[in-house]
Amino acid sequence: MQLSQESGAASLPKGPLAPEGSQEIRVAEPGRSAKQPPHASPEGHAKPRKAFPVIGIDYKHVRIPFEISLWILLACLMKLGFHVIPSVSSIVPESCLLIVVGLLVGGLIKGVGEKPPILKSDIFFLFLLPPIILDAGYFLPLRPFTENLGTILIFAVVGTLWNAFFLGGLMYAVCQLGGPGLNHIGLLANLLFGSIISAVDPVAVLAVFEEIHINELLHILVFGESLLNDAVTVVLYHLFEEFASFEQVTILDIILGFLSFFVVSLGGVLVGVIYGVIAAFTSRFTSHIRVIEPLFVFLYSYMAYLSAELFHLSGIMALIAAGVVMRPYVEANISHKSHTTIKYFLKMWSSVSETLIFIFLGVSTVAGHHYWNWTFVISTLFFCLIARVLGVLVLTWFINKFRIVKLTPKDQFIIAYGGLRGAIAFSLGYLLDYHHFDMRDMFLTAIITVIFFTVFVQGMTIRPLVDLLAVKKKQETKRSINEEIHTQFLDHLLTGIEDICGHYGHHHWKDKLNRFNKKYVKKCLIAGERSKEPQLIAFYHKMEMKQAIELVESGGIGKIPSAVSTVSIQNINPQTLPLERVLPALSKDKEEEIRKILRTNLQKTRQRLRSYNRHTLVADPYEEAWNQMLLRRQKARQLEQKMNNYLTVPAHRVDSPTMSRARIGSDPLAYEPKEDSENLPIITIDPASPQSPESAELTSEEPKGCSGLPPSPEEDEEGLVMRVKEPSSPGTDDVFTPGNSDSPSNQRMLRCLSDPGPRPEPEEGEPFIPKGQ
Amino acid sequence: MALLDQKNNNVSITVFILCCVHTIMTRKENGWQEHREDFQRIPELAINPLGDRIINAFFPEGEDQVNFRGFMRTLAHFRPIEDNEKSKDQNGPEPLNSRSNKLHFAFRLYDLDKDDKISRDELLQVLRMMVGVNISDEQLGSIADRTIQEADQDGDSAISFAEFVKVLEKVDVEQKMSIRFLH
Repeated sequence: MQLSQESGAASLPKGPLAPEGSQEIRVAEPGRSAKQPPHASPEGHAKPRKAFPVIGIDYKHVRIPFEISLWILLACLMKLGFHVIPSVSSIVPESCLLIVVGLLVGGLIKGVGEKPPILKSDIFFLFLLPPIILDAGYFLPLRPFTENLGTILIFAVVGTLWNAFFLGGLMYAVCQLGGPGLNHIGLLANLLFGSIISAVDPVAVLAVFEEIHINELLHILVFGESLLNDAVTVVLYHLFEEFASFEQVTILDIILGFLSFFVVSLGGVLVGVIYGVIAAFTSRFTSHIRVIEPLFVFLYSYMAYLSAELFHLSGIMALIAAGVVMRPYVEANISHKSHTTIKYFLKMWSSVSETLIFIFLGVSTVAGHHYWNWTFVISTLFFCLIARVLGVLVLTWFINKFRIVKLTPKDQFIIAYGGLRGAIAFSLGYLLDYHHFDMRDMFLTAIITVIFFTVFVQGMTIRPLVDLLAVKKKQETKRSINEEIHTQFLDHLLTGIEDICGHYGHHHWKDKLNRFNKKYVKKCLIAGERSKEPQLIAFYHKMEMKQAIELVESGGIGKIPSAVSTVSIQNINPQTLPLERVLPALSKDKEEEIRKILRTNLQKTRQRLRSYNRHTLVADPYEEAWNQMLLRRQKARQLEQKMNNYLTVPAHRVDSPTMSRARIGSDPLAYEPKEDSENLPIITIDPASPQSPESAELTSEEPKGCSGLPPSPEEDEEGLVMRVKEPSSPGTDDVFTPGNSDSPSNQRMLRCLSDPGPRPEPEEGEPFIPKGQ
Repeated sequence: MALLDQKNNNVSITVFILCCVHTIMTRKENGWQEHREDFQRIPELAINPLGDRIINAFFPEGEDQVNFRGFMRTLAHFRPIEDNEKSKDQNGPEPLNSRSNKLHFAFRLYDLDKDDKISRDELLQVLRMMVGVNISDEQLGSIADRTIQEADQDGDSAISFAEFVKVLEKVDVEQKMSIRFLH
């Protein structure tokens, strides 16, 4: 991170204790005998012996990473601090507080005498902006986005163009009338300024709108607009920047500029789609190295952004397109843990990025050269607001003719008011070249003023206004299976009606796209059986998983539906049944026998297995087992009550992972042993308390020379599904798939996982109580 | 056409009618009567999972042909809800394209035996049509059970119209079940 700091690093005087091997040039101090470099010369000159440096300081060596980490740490601590003081954060949005913090820090640095760092455009565009955009694009709610795409595009393209030209033109007029200080600013410079300042900023919008929980429609409209106007901004910026160096602007140039808009936007989308498809294709094969799956997603998306920026295309649109395209296929392919990892990493990075951006905005304000011109700045502010309001009003009037659900005046007000400017405008202004634009400082001052105004004034007041106007808020409910089924039903119905009328509308094309997707694309990009899974089943499965996890996390308390499905991937092709494990009920003697065998072996095998492998995520077996035991103790009581209210299991052949998870929170007494037992089950001994018989499922591996557990062919290609053969403990990692390795070490691993502890503890006796007794 | 006469002054309904008329005229020549075969000749309907049911929805009880009026009556359900209609007289009969009537139309497509309830079997049939042949009966059964259990409030193991409406209260039916003609 090339922060533009001139001094700043503490450069310590080189003393006699300078450590060997450091790269500094030794200061030849007078009065000392001549020093030789640390590596002794072969001649063996008599050199004065220095004491061996026990402690030394070498700041230059770590300076850059150290400072970066300090800044990021500062950002995170600030975020933490705001939530510790709840009263402030409910009135003032976080972005404002962060800017204030930035101002303070900048002032502090200046006060100390050093030059505070300015937010360089490179750092902003290459490192700070992409995580935020990727987070937004990957989790973009696709349905409302596509339904309102026309509206969003009109706001983004036409609205931004209008803003830019209106503002630029008016500022030109102001400059002409503004006296000697402003007269020299030409039309093109003003248009450039207009194009920089007119774009609604996604970072600021996200930061503010996230806290006010506005209804989905408005959120997607403003947010979508802020994302899609990047193409317009990029084109206009480069256009005017180029034109400013021309003597004359011909019609040809204008036409070329117009063309370049299409190239930039569509090209950006194309680049994003290509990378998205490649990422989806790659994820099809990652079933063996689940650990780096998230990295593929991040890298491909980042490459999409960089590739687009390489060709001067719209990087933001590329990033959004990549995220949107890859998401459905990648999610069908990757493991559940990778999915969680991706989600949390994206949220983490985007959160930190956002914080850093706002802090740096504050610091840059203090650090930068400013040139305050009252006329220019005030008129910029004024015209910005007017342009926005007028633009929204006119466009909404036009759009409402085509919309089925019209935008009310309240909606329009929020859309207009939510047009916040942010760091993108600042960075674009910073990029301006001094030689061509000597009024750059004035521009920067005006940009900063507008940003401050929109973020502080509009950001702070939007929440009470939303409450005052009683705008509809977001409804925090999950999508139910009913909604999904009926929505699909209505989709089909409307497609049919449209076909009867011969009207090729929205539903018709959507249906065509879905068909194409199902027939060709899914086969390529999704691994294995998941490619044939209908959307409804996938949705249902996801819902079941979610509910099962919630059940486990809440310790079994909560609503348990009386009907649970055993929909699992394997069931899609009932012909090729995967080999399942059988859990027979063992007699007491056999159990005792097994117990003895295990107990004698357990001590030894533990040591043998402790091989550290950086590439596999091994959960600490003792900790896991201990935690589970505690968990189960907690749930023990409640399980008694759950016996009646339990999830019915149809006598189903395959034990789906959903079921095995759900079972943890429920009464497994109803769990029947399966009839077909061709193959070999594994021994899984889960430490459990006596009252939770479900956990002590003993599945025995028959010691008679049978072959190892044949892995199911489908299981290796599963996506979000946990392996069937895993011990039913939610903490176990996916990597520990028993099917992948050979049988004896499998057994050992599993046994180790469930090993309650080295010493004979009082609890040790309990795990071996079988179910049903 | 008495029902539609009330809205004659509305431009969109005229456009709506004209477009549909144009479509029908270009598709067949039997004058104003439509038969089932005419609908079945539309290729896209053949691959639509709900194709048969949609066709049946056009034909009144037990008959084999539908005249223009009946056709338009069915299609009128899909007219977008205009804002100015909301302030019109509340005393008149509810217009065909009100939210409630739209939902009722969809409900009737589920409810084949017309007992005003969607039973488990009817739901299973619809699910089977939408999901295809690869899924086993048991799973569909579980999904159907879950669906009914989620929606059912009076405990009769079937979804009545009121429950149906309630379940879809968050879905924007007015937008979803409307067709706009942009000519």
